[in-house]
Amino acid sequence: MIFKNWKIHVGALIIVVISELIGTKKIPLGPGVLLLLPMLYAMVFGGIISWPRLKLIKLEEMNAASKVLSLLTLLLVTKLGILIGPAVPKLAAAGAALSLQELGHFLGTVILSLPLALLLGMKREAVGATFSIDREPNIAIIAEKYGMDSPEGRGVMAIYICGTVFGAVWLGLLAGYLSAMNIFHPYALAMGAGVGSGSMMAAAAGAIKAVFPEHGDQILAYAGASNLLTTVIGIYFCLFISLPITNFLYRVLLPILGRQKGKEVVSK
Amino acid sequence: MKTKWMETITIFLVTGIITLVGNTVGYKYPWNIALIGYLIILGITLLGIALAEYLPVKLPMVLWISVIALLSTSPISPFAKTILEYTGKMEFMAIVTPILAYAGLSAGKDLPMFKTMSWRIIVIALMVYTGTFVFATIIAQTVLHMQGLI
Repeated sequence: MIFKNWKIHVGALIIVVISELIGTKKIPLGPGVLLLLPMLYAMVFGGIISWPRLKLIKLEEMNAASKVLSLLTLLLVTKLGILIGPAVPKLAAAGAALSLQELGHFLGTVILSLPLALLLGMKREAVGATFSIDREPNIAIIAEKYGMDSPEGRGVMAIYICGTVFGAVWLGLLAGYLSAMNIFHPYALAMGAGVGSGSMMAAAAGAIKAVFPEHGDQILAYAGASNLLTTVIGIYFCLFISLPITNFLYRVLLPILGRQKGKEVVSK
Repeated sequence: MKTKWMETITIFLVTGIITLVGNTVGYKYPWNIALIGYLIILGITLLGIALAEYLPVKLPMVLWISVIALLSTSPISPFAKTILEYTGKMEFMAIVTPILAYAGLSAGKDLPMFKTMSWRIIVIALMVYTGTFVFATIIAQTVLHMQGLI
């Protein structure tokens, strides 16, 4: 299959070389800095090549690229594991922070976005959309509980698609910007970067590392450890805690924030 | 099964070339040392995949790989220093850039569906990612500060 899909690999090689040659660019914006890293150009160039209207690569090749992507993410896991090894005593000392910040990962998705989704007029879709970061394991939870053909299923799929299209780019920019503002310590930011998706974590951790190069390896060790926790605990936490909490908040907030289309109909 | 392994290894070798080229162009590490670093990373990864596949205990692949990688450089490992030395020349970001290149190359398959989405979904998605990152960071910052670690 590698020879059948040679185009995407040659494409990837050219993209990587061009992106690395452009190098990191910093654009001051407000109180922070917009940090443009080679990985961001790589994502954008790749996206342009795979733009369906240009017909440069076939759907089959895009699927092959997606498979390569998930294999390569495993190399990242290894590289991070290697960096975690020597940092184990340090990580153990920060164990309390590492465990507690997971609450932020799991509940942080709901806190802002559920009220917003209701204000924007979403109904049950909002539950699927906001109960987690909606990667593959989370889709499985919704599929089992509600089925994919439900409003909850549509909500989770919508955010999943957004995540594949711009999740990593957004987290890279956001993490770089917050790092440059200098309000958080790089270790705290690194833990925050472990959102539970390999590519999003890598983009965020890479941006933080670019702002604080002197803490490079520690940043990656903290981000890797946090991401591992989010991934491993995530399945259980999302199923038994996040989803019930999201459903509870939905019932409480819907009458307050939801658009009451029914009332308008009645008043006519 | 055999063809599946062949395919996996071929993919890792092809992407290895791309990663090493990026590592040399972007971060100026000597390619021959980085190559050994890449092969060490690849070896651990393949071992983790094999354990997840063949052992009767069913644990996530990511966990197996992490545990082996972590043990290989933990204070108890006799190879820790060597592994760190070689893999240290294989820059993390040089692995990330190809990953995002492939992510971009595969994004086209989701674009038709993405285009049908309203701006509301996009705003909510941004809030979901922002929320999870920022709230975890705030908690981590608070606890690390209380413990006097930062």
